[in-house]
Amino acid sequence: MRILAYLAKRLIFVIPQLLGIVLVSFLLVKSIPGDPAVLMLGPTATPSAIASLRQQLGLDQPLYMQFLIYVRNLLHGDLGTSWQTTRPVLEDLLQRFPATLELVTLSLLLAIVVGVTLGVYAARKPNGWVARLADLYGLSAGALPDFWFALVLIFIFYTVLGWAPAPLGRIDMIVIPPLPVTGALTIDALLAGDLQAFWSACAHLVLPVLTLGLLNAGPILKMTQATMEKMLESDFSRFEVLCGVPQNLVVRHALRNALPSIVTIISVLYGFLIGGAVLVEIVFSWGGAGQYAVQGVLNSDIYPVLGFVLFSAIFSLIVYIAVDLIYFLLDPRISN
Amino acid sequence: MSLGAAEVISNTRNASAGGDKPPLIDIRNLRVTFPSGGAEPKAVLKGIDLAVQPGEIVGLVGESGAGKTTLARSILGLPPSPGRIAGGEVHFEGRQILSLSESELRRLRGRRLSVVVPNPRAELNPLLKVGDQIASMAKIHLGVAGKEARRMALEILREVQIPDPERRMDAYPHELSGGMAQRVVIAMALICSPAFVISDDATSGLDVTVQAQILALLAKLAAEHGSAMLFISRDVGITAHFCDRIAVLFSGEIVEIAPREPLFLEPAHPYTLMLLAAFSHSPKLRDSWTVPDTDRRRERSAGCQYADRCPIAQPVCRTLRPPLAEIGPGHFVRCYFPVRHA
Repeated sequence: MRILAYLAKRLIFVIPQLLGIVLVSFLLVKSIPGDPAVLMLGPTATPSAIASLRQQLGLDQPLYMQFLIYVRNLLHGDLGTSWQTTRPVLEDLLQRFPATLELVTLSLLLAIVVGVTLGVYAARKPNGWVARLADLYGLSAGALPDFWFALVLIFIFYTVLGWAPAPLGRIDMIVIPPLPVTGALTIDALLAGDLQAFWSACAHLVLPVLTLGLLNAGPILKMTQATMEKMLESDFSRFEVLCGVPQNLVVRHALRNALPSIVTIISVLYGFLIGGAVLVEIVFSWGGAGQYAVQGVLNSDIYPVLGFVLFSAIFSLIVYIAVDLIYFLLDPRISN
Repeated sequence: MSLGAAEVISNTRNASAGGDKPPLIDIRNLRVTFPSGGAEPKAVLKGIDLAVQPGEIVGLVGESGAGKTTLARSILGLPPSPGRIAGGEVHFEGRQILSLSESELRRLRGRRLSVVVPNPRAELNPLLKVGDQIASMAKIHLGVAGKEARRMALEILREVQIPDPERRMDAYPHELSGGMAQRVVIAMALICSPAFVISDDATSGLDVTVQAQILALLAKLAAEHGSAMLFISRDVGITAHFCDRIAVLFSGEIVEIAPREPLFLEPAHPYTLMLLAAFSHSPKLRDSWTVPDTDRRRERSAGCQYADRCPIAQPVCRTLRPPLAEIGPGHFVRCYFPVRHA
């Protein structure tokens, strides 16, 4: 019951939160120099043509009017049109956001498996070789740029060994993509029963997922290691050892106590990676949402940028609410 | 009036035997060190000899830093980090348990040798229901199935006199008062009917009235489960109530050990007297024996550990460590000049 009351309270705050995010990002994007009308019409355009296009786009209106119009359109489900793709931003994002989400989610799963496993083993023996390896890993994962690591992987596994497919998108060009349902190619291929498309999508995922997963396992590893060490030294773990509880069980209990911190860092990474994966998306020509937004910024194409911010914000809010629900499930001290 | 050297040496062994029957647990020359900045590690337990008979309750008193908790945990082979057992033996039920493998030791802990800890709310796992925590002891050590383990847990919760035990089974530690949490810890320590229970300052965090209840309960349950007990406390007065024998620990050494009556009526070590005087209501006694503690943390490498605080210390006390000498039946004191009571 407390969960429901809490959820209701959280959802009430979602609308003003989103409005605030839209306002701030609108102002920021508007402050980027560059006139879309000039860019759209090219260098040979006459001043009168530019002026009429500006009027058509509403760019001659005062800023607050532009914002109000944008919000009004938002409420009608219209996120504007990208002048680069000449398609509605909503359509573009619905196609690209799942691509990013699929990549980021799988990468994060890999990062969780690597980070939590290594972190737990490192914490069990703070002076053991796993702990030393974990220190080295944490350091290098934090130091290596992801696009560089991606290029190294491509060089080894595509150029030299030829095991991985060319880094040119999410699926082989000769394979017909499955009918979009969720937007995630692997799931859509399975839904369509198209194994060829499924394997092709998986093969294209391997290198980018390895890149993002291995590098982002660093923070998860560090957080797991630090929290687990603290939990294993805590009074209740010590008492369990004094009571003759087997070490595996002591570690399991400590991990449950460490989970809230680990879940927190995972959720932060999840929200961050939606935009943070953009360099890797570019390296692999992924066609994801981050890439779309960066193109928008570079070309004064503001609606894709605003749409991306809005999508990311909604996504982050969903993740944070989910995390709060997980806290409720994990810790009786919160739920009671 | 001091004893001859030969006599002293022949008597020291008896100090740990305590009686004619083979002791349940026999701690011999237990030494624990902590690494220090220098080359020489700091000795925290300097050769403890202590034996406890089956069913006996032995009190161990000493001020903070005397090594009480280190002793409690070293008996279980788990000295507080970064301490290390530097020597000595602990014989328990016919085995030298400090030489056992970690997994054999683990099976003894909580099953035959268990410990009651202070500050129980921090010692319980915050995410598990207390009923499950108690039941898991029975599951782990007695190999009973889940349902039977829960039945045993409920029964022991009744024994430790927790109000409304059925409901408490599903409570989380944060929902319990300190006294109730202490009862839960006692239940965990006793559910497997261990032969030996170490109570490590178990009631120090509780209200005085609750303290008395918990102590009475602990003594009663130890008797009912046939467990011997080492009762560690800072409060010498508490031990007078239900300990058969009492040992006084000072700076990692047992300075006096005696059955209850002689210890309280004829304390022989100057430190014991000071302890008793400190707890006494007689201002005359307090004033006569309370000396200013100028340098209480200073370690002596030679001689009597108490020499710097002792009002009757002689030159020999500062050079030669006094042995534990028997001055009465079962009454041992580590002092060249034990106080005589006419």
